[in-house]
Amino acid sequence: MHTKLLLGLALALFAAGCATSHPDLPITQQQRSLNDFDRTQRKTAPPVADAVTGERIMRARSEPHNWLTYYGAYDGQRYSALDQINADTVARLKPAWIFQAAPIGLISSPATFALEAAPIVVDGVMYLSGWDGQVWALDAATGDLLWRYHHAIPLDLPLCCGNVNRGVAVAYGKVFYSSPNGHLVALDAKSGKVVWRQAWLDPRAGESSTMAPLVVKNMVIVGSSGAEYGVRGHIDAFDSQTGRRVWRRYAVPKPGEPGSDTWGANDAWQRGGGSAWITGTYDPQLNLLYWGTDNPSPDFDGRMRPGDNLYTNSVLALNPDDGSIRWHYQFTPHDVWDYAGVNENILFEQDGRPLLAHFDRNGYLFILDRRTGERLRVTQFGERVTWGRIAPDTGRVSDRQEPTREGKYICPGPAGAKEWTHAAYSRKTGLLYTPVIDLCGTFKLIETPFEEGLGYWGGDFIATPEDAKGGYVKAFDPASGKMIWSTKFPFPMVASVLATAGDLVFAGEPNGDFDALDARNGQVLWKFKTGSGIHSSPVAYSVRGKQYIAVPTGWGGWLKGFAVDTFGASRGSAVVVFALP
Amino acid sequence: MLPPRNRFGAFSLAIPLLTLALAQFLAGCEHAKLLRPQVLKQLDTDVAALVNELPEMDHQNKAIIGRLFAQGGLTRASLGEDGIMRGRIRIPANEYIWKPAIVVMPQGGVLELDVANEDVAHHMMYMPHNGEREVLDLPAQTRGIIRVQLDQPGYYWFGCPVANHATRGMLGLVLVKGEVPPGAKLDRPPQPRPPEGRDRHAH
Repeated sequence: MHTKLLLGLALALFAAGCATSHPDLPITQQQRSLNDFDRTQRKTAPPVADAVTGERIMRARSEPHNWLTYYGAYDGQRYSALDQINADTVARLKPAWIFQAAPIGLISSPATFALEAAPIVVDGVMYLSGWDGQVWALDAATGDLLWRYHHAIPLDLPLCCGNVNRGVAVAYGKVFYSSPNGHLVALDAKSGKVVWRQAWLDPRAGESSTMAPLVVKNMVIVGSSGAEYGVRGHIDAFDSQTGRRVWRRYAVPKPGEPGSDTWGANDAWQRGGGSAWITGTYDPQLNLLYWGTDNPSPDFDGRMRPGDNLYTNSVLALNPDDGSIRWHYQFTPHDVWDYAGVNENILFEQDGRPLLAHFDRNGYLFILDRRTGERLRVTQFGERVTWGRIAPDTGRVSDRQEPTREGKYICPGPAGAKEWTHAAYSRKTGLLYTPVIDLCGTFKLIETPFEEGLGYWGGDFIATPEDAKGGYVKAFDPASGKMIWSTKFPFPMVASVLATAGDLVFAGEPNGDFDALDARNGQVLWKFKTGSGIHSSPVAYSVRGKQYIAVPTGWGGWLKGFAVDTFGASRGSAVVVFALP
Repeated sequence: MLPPRNRFGAFSLAIPLLTLALAQFLAGCEHAKLLRPQVLKQLDTDVAALVNELPEMDHQNKAIIGRLFAQGGLTRASLGEDGIMRGRIRIPANEYIWKPAIVVMPQGGVLELDVANEDVAHHMMYMPHNGEREVLDLPAQTRGIIRVQLDQPGYYWFGCPVANHATRGMLGLVLVKGEVPPGAKLDRPPQPRPPEGRDRHAH
């Protein structure tokens, strides 16, 4: 009896062993790409990108039918010389085509996805990226899908503020794309197939990528995201042919490096923030790259990082050949409000002098001499600005109102009086145009121990819908810093504006309205309801003599920071393109 | 009654068999691994409540309508000499579940799955992949191979995109362990990572 028991136990143990059986079915099924299930795709694009070079992008102004680089040209002006659509004809503007994208299944950060790209247009082909690792090539005249690329994005990626991507760069027959999980990918611009890939970020350290790369000379330049996770922010340059890294520039210096004395004598620099997630601008004559840097970490608690915290909240004038810093200007020293200094730096000339205009999140417009960083003018452009006062003559900050444990009511909110969405400069009117957010709220200090990969805000921001007072598009004269006109909107204005030679400024609203304003007086001349809020960068281009205006739509991003009153607004995801009939 | 020598002979066979079975059980079996202290300490009240509820809950059309997607279990993809990580998944009949539903990759790279649809229904496997999502079409009672590239740590979902199969139980996860390449790391000293089990037993 004992023997039978023992034998039975032995057999049971074998049976309970861990080998799993696999059925005896023959292998008959082969995998296919999702693209093979889409016969509507042409699968190939004409070889228009082969002839795009760094040299040609320098002369982007000479081909206004294209939108060759993120801002249209290296100067960041977001100005189109096309004028077929103008103040007289805009009333007849109609949709020409719509491209739509929707998720199948789960995506990371599912309540935040938005199309935020500035589409690139090269000789009739549009290239853009979307949320969750997607890149598309479209026929710019018809909207037909030419090819599609999808990068696999893990669901648990540390995305502080949105499953978003601001676009691609196109040159040398390739489309350069930085995936949210930190791969820089060079795609064949004809097929969308990978030419090379380079892992350049560490998501375990809280890093991610949201920006559009910039091609300068033979390099692809990108900046990191992640200052809400206590990263050490950086800007990297890669060889466009091979993917080999040429240089990396950290925005937070190590002990002993210039600027390290602005961090206090501790290890705060190791997680000091200063990421660089907005595409820079470039002056080929001066050979200087102008790149904004993010807030220091933790966002709202500055006690462990006494000092100015260079080079956070700054514009860095970099030598693009080696990443060295020629000069810097810090917009918000020792930031404790998350007033990231990443916003664009627009390059323009005045009386022959090369200048730079920067609408900072802190509510002030800075005009600098871009050769040296010398400050020429500081003007308040935000509506309610109470965090501190910047003296127009010295640039010094006084009357700082900082977050407290109990909470302090401060303006503007952490996404600033202007978010990352871009301003424009009209070469025709000589005016700067900017979208504006009017939001205040309570900044609260909360002791936060640092743990790699977790949020490192050092506090919280609390705002109710009553704290949001809408938005504006405003026009400024850079020569005087004076406001020329201001048009109020019911919700915060958080889409890039686009200025055209047709005396128009295009702007997008959170309620889905896409608007054309008269560049001379701000009067709204035309509106179209796209159906979902706009948080992107519209562009202008033409194909075979016909002008188009393209606007990616879809409401998402860090709504808590800039549009607390529209979290429940209609979501969507489409590129809407307009033309005259 | 058997003669004593016969009894002794059978007994002598049972002893080595039992030893062998025990050795296998303890060395490789998932059940034995459950007895490890770091596993047992996860059984706080909430987890115990989950385990206790599963027999009532985790069937097709019982307490709820579908299955809890993670209950297909887990497999560890094995790294082959060719650098490819491999695993096998079944779709049992009438369960609407991937078995196992969680695939662990020890590091980023190429994953190859051998998937057998034993069900009488049509299923598809919709997998993440760097390039474009890959699809393995599996008509009833067929089997196929799917290979994908997942390079970065984190977890990725896969599922059956037919009708409501995915959210009736056929959702799965690929967990990619490991670190990014050294060239993608930040230049800074090692930083503290979140401690394990911080909120266990916090009741």
